[in-house]
Amino acid sequence: MIAFYRRFEAVLVGTASLIAIAVAWQLAVDNGFIDPFFISTPLAVAREAMTQAADGTLFVNISATLHAFSLALALAAAVGIGLGVLAGWFRDVEAALDPFIWFKYSAPTIAFYPIFIAYLGYGLPTVVTVGFLFALTPIYANTLAGIRNVDRDLARTARAFGARPLDVFVRVALPGSVPLLVAGFRLGVGRALTGVVVAELFGSTAGLGYSITQHAQLMQTAPMMVSIVAIVLIGVALTQALGFVERKTDAWRVDAE
Amino acid sequence: MSLSLGKSADGTRRAPGVRLLRRWPLRRSTTISLLSVLIFLALWQTVPALGLMNARYTSQPSAVAIAFAQMLGEASFYGHAWVSLQEFVLGFVLALAVAVPFGALLGTSRQVRLILDPPLMALYIAPPLVLLPILTIWLGIDMASKVAVVFLGAFFPIIVNTGAGMREADPRLVRAAQSFGAGRLAIFTHVLVPGALPSIAMGVRLAVGRGVLSVVVGELFVSRAGIGHLLQIYGSALRMDRLLVCALVVSAFGYALTQLVRRLEDGLRSWRAEP
Repeated sequence: MIAFYRRFEAVLVGTASLIAIAVAWQLAVDNGFIDPFFISTPLAVAREAMTQAADGTLFVNISATLHAFSLALALAAAVGIGLGVLAGWFRDVEAALDPFIWFKYSAPTIAFYPIFIAYLGYGLPTVVTVGFLFALTPIYANTLAGIRNVDRDLARTARAFGARPLDVFVRVALPGSVPLLVAGFRLGVGRALTGVVVAELFGSTAGLGYSITQHAQLMQTAPMMVSIVAIVLIGVALTQALGFVERKTDAWRVDAE
Repeated sequence: MSLSLGKSADGTRRAPGVRLLRRWPLRRSTTISLLSVLIFLALWQTVPALGLMNARYTSQPSAVAIAFAQMLGEASFYGHAWVSLQEFVLGFVLALAVAVPFGALLGTSRQVRLILDPPLMALYIAPPLVLLPILTIWLGIDMASKVAVVFLGAFFPIIVNTGAGMREADPRLVRAAQSFGAGRLAIFTHVLVPGALPSIAMGVRLAVGRGVLSVVVGELFVSRAGIGHLLQIYGSALRMDRLLVCALVVSAFGYALTQLVRRLEDGLRSWRAEP
């Protein structure tokens, strides 16, 4: 029993703490400390979630958000890894891209959303573009660093055995950059989710972010909370899944050595 | 013709050429960066002029420069910038004041960590910006809700990095301090806090970016004043020149502040490395 507790202490205490927060929230509203208009209650949110699950709106919203998210992430990964590899291998490409990447780092992407809406209209294209731009920089920067930080000894050994630059690139630089690449991808996942949801708050006609805005305008806190909780859960699930992938890729590299 | 990794490493053998090669790339990369920006600006200026794109959507560098000069002469612009700045500073200072002590608690106490980690992580993963509508309902459409969003945006990077910095303190230093009779408080103030400073500074640097984004998004969502409010107005009026000026001002502010914190961070790191 104690061994069981030791092993799962983090999970058990963590769950208890989340349950305690929910209970405190419910009690605070029930006893009149907080007006439920402002914050709803866990029970009301759960009831609302059931209703939305029954009539299907919850799944429609979730799948709309996930659809935009996967498109944005796939685009960001393709462009970010492509440009990152080019810039990591050819310094001139890095020099040419550098000013724009610096601008991307410091500019709040969302400030440009009126331009996207003017071009692409309300809906999926705008949402995907914002998510794509959010996720692009970490993926690009990490890919570049991964290619650049290739093990010099390995590269030199490969060349000593007659490898041409292309061989070094395919056999040494690319495999060597996998851990950093995965790390960049993990950052990109978080940023893409933020970008998609924020864009949905402003310029969309579907999705969890849109449902938050819509219910906010009607001052309906319970449905808003349902969407917020759904976003949190999606974020947690994605992070856990990626942590798993990351451990796998790390293990693979250790094996190879 | 590029200095790819393979070639530059090859060059290490040809000793006399190395110094020349090493001087060359730096100037070369700056030249290329400058050229690429100039080409971009030239394209941006000429493509709408040739009628290939609608200048109403893209504006032009010359139009942006003119708009910038005009807006610098308008008192209302400074008023809006001042509102945004106040929101940012208030939210950020609040976040620092709360996140650093809690982060220290998180980094030093296992119990606190077990209890606080799951809710913190859930909120850290979820973009705090999704709470914007609900914060607006709680706090109204004026400054308070933006201060709260900045606070939330800045809070998590700082608390997480403070905790991590304390937790990753060098165990040899802690043990050495213990064997010389240092109490828990002495270890905290003399080992953990100095050791965590670079990590805290890194959290602050990440928080700057999130804070700036939060102000802008908060004001874009609903507001009556601020740079984000201007962005909203110019965006719906399709005044792209003025919209870009606002976006550039915000970017410059974020960039300057991030660089400042980065300097501080580097300073702290090298100061710690010296003894």
